[in-house]
Amino acid sequence: MSENNNTQFETAFEVRDLDLYYDTFQALKKINMDIPLNQVTAFIGPSGCGKSTFIRCFNRMNDLIEDCRIEGEIFHHGVEIHDKSVDVVQLRTEVGMVFQQPNPFSMSVYDNVAYGLRCQGVKDKNILDEVVETSLKQAAIWDEVKDHLNRNAMKLSGGQQQRLCIARAISLKPEVILMDEPTSALDPIATTKIEDLITELKKTYTIIIVTHSMSQAARISDRTAFFLLGEVIEYDETDVIFHNPADSRTEDYVTGKFG
Amino acid sequence: MTRRRIINDKIKEALTWLSSGISAFVLIAIVVFIFSRGWETLNWDLLTTGYNSENLMADFVHVDMNEFSEFEKPSNLKDDAVFSSKYGIAFVDGIDANKETYTKVVYLDESSPLQDGKITTAGPRQGEQLALHEGLYLQKISYLDEAGDKKSAGQMSPEGKEASELVAILDNQSVEIVDFYAQTEGGGLRGSIITTLILIGITLVIALPLGIFAAIYLNELAPKNKLTSAIRSSIELLSGVPSIIFGLMGMTMLFPITQLFGIDGQSITLGAMTLAVILLPVIIRQTEEALINVPNGMRMASLSLGATEFQTIYKVVVPNALPGILTATLLSISRIIGESAALIFTVGTAITDNPAWNAKGTSLAVHIYTVMGGEQPNFELASAISIVILTIVLILNVSVKVITYYMTKEKDEPAKA
Repeated sequence: MSENNNTQFETAFEVRDLDLYYDTFQALKKINMDIPLNQVTAFIGPSGCGKSTFIRCFNRMNDLIEDCRIEGEIFHHGVEIHDKSVDVVQLRTEVGMVFQQPNPFSMSVYDNVAYGLRCQGVKDKNILDEVVETSLKQAAIWDEVKDHLNRNAMKLSGGQQQRLCIARAISLKPEVILMDEPTSALDPIATTKIEDLITELKKTYTIIIVTHSMSQAARISDRTAFFLLGEVIEYDETDVIFHNPADSRTEDYVTGKFG
Repeated sequence: MTRRRIINDKIKEALTWLSSGISAFVLIAIVVFIFSRGWETLNWDLLTTGYNSENLMADFVHVDMNEFSEFEKPSNLKDDAVFSSKYGIAFVDGIDANKETYTKVVYLDESSPLQDGKITTAGPRQGEQLALHEGLYLQKISYLDEAGDKKSAGQMSPEGKEASELVAILDNQSVEIVDFYAQTEGGGLRGSIITTLILIGITLVIALPLGIFAAIYLNELAPKNKLTSAIRSSIELLSGVPSIIFGLMGMTMLFPITQLFGIDGQSITLGAMTLAVILLPVIIRQTEEALINVPNGMRMASLSLGATEFQTIYKVVVPNALPGILTATLLSISRIIGESAALIFTVGTAITDNPAWNAKGTSLAVHIYTVMGGEQPNFELASAISIVILTIVLILNVSVKVITYYMTKEKDEPAKA
């Protein structure tokens, strides 16, 4: 863990001494990290380094994995998210998530975006209409789907599906959006569109993104954390990580010597 | 390649051809055999009439036959019908679905003296007017001869078993008709078809919710531990138990439950409950299969949007598993229609025309058992029922394919960029 972890910014999450075990295997080791508010934080590292496991901690998706045990603390505005008083369903509405594979529901585009609100019990058609429209607009897919809102979302292309999933995530007006390799299943053009969208979204949302692509991390993120075998090797401003890393392993990775 | 290798390969190839050929031949042979034996017997009347015929006896008040002139033979009468010009009635001979000879009335003149019978059989219809009308099966007809003696003819008499003989007696020896005994048409499948439908209904009402909810629990909610896998293996074990054992179980273990509803003895409900137990493993496994096939990404997406576990299950997982659940339902219906061993003990083997949920009856499959189990096995009728069963099962299987095709088409369509 590098000592550059200075907290001169407002934080969305503060991670303290986080250990995560899958049964007996320790996937994350003593992680300490402050995630800045309204910035893009990228996690990079070779496969199996624990970055996807780590991002799932922020909305407690690891709860769903049996044999997964977490020690340590993650503070979200001063509240420890594993605390008994925290409603995990409520937490997930504040911390949205976009997955590696586009995973729209097999229902209409409209119903996909309205899903989250409907689960909260919102039935008012006017509110739903408005949220669907603004979310799709924010996700830069409104122009492509506005005439086919009743079409099954499965019929969209992969890139459109992923932007729909982003629209779906922001329909709940979350504070944080977690993105787990959101472009790895997409072609370069669709990837560019998603990257542009992320740059746009960071004005409003805190974004944490896991990526395999170093160039993507360099292009869109403000801060970058380099993971290796469950440990954070280095965490700093993206510029520093890519141009002046403190650890030789980080340098080896970002310059493509391994990974 | 050596000659030896070529021969070796050819032999193995021939074996595969032979095996699939034999299988196909056996299947086709069964279908052809059943159709050839049963097709003649199968007709719409067989499906819509009851099994038990109604016995009707009626007598006539004295009429002077001299008041009646000779009746004219209607021109549209079939060739095999024998017409009595004295009484204006026509009969045909035949053999019914239960292999018994009969004399059937095919025509009765509107002004015939045989129009005005009065029912004498005890029962609610006693005293009603009854003609020896078209469609009745004449068993016995009594007449007075010229000497004034009462004599009889017909199926149940020594004389007049055949239509031509009967008409000759009526026309030449009788002075007037005293009474007759006839039966309505019987031997039909209506009762068994309705019983089968009631069985399907009650069984599905019990088995579907149980099976689907159990599958949801096992696949979505249950912790993946030894207990869960023990439950799962015992369910799979259940599907291998012969159904006759389930029949015994229904008789002894489920019977007390039906007794709570005031049912004494075998009943359709008892059969349906037994069938539900038989079907549970099938429905659970099929539904679980369908649930497993729902992409995990959809569950994740739903949960990440702040849906609860149950909202995820009922809004996303189950709708996506619907084609599979529907398939399970239709396969269950096939199984209900085909089941016999378990029903013999629980619903009984007595064919009924007025099935009720709390009474005995026979499903179509057990109907076969009953008609084959009598003193004179009736293979034609059994084959005819088999055709009905095969047709329903075939339709169900095709609908499974069609429904699955249409419900999955939407998703499988390639996405356009």
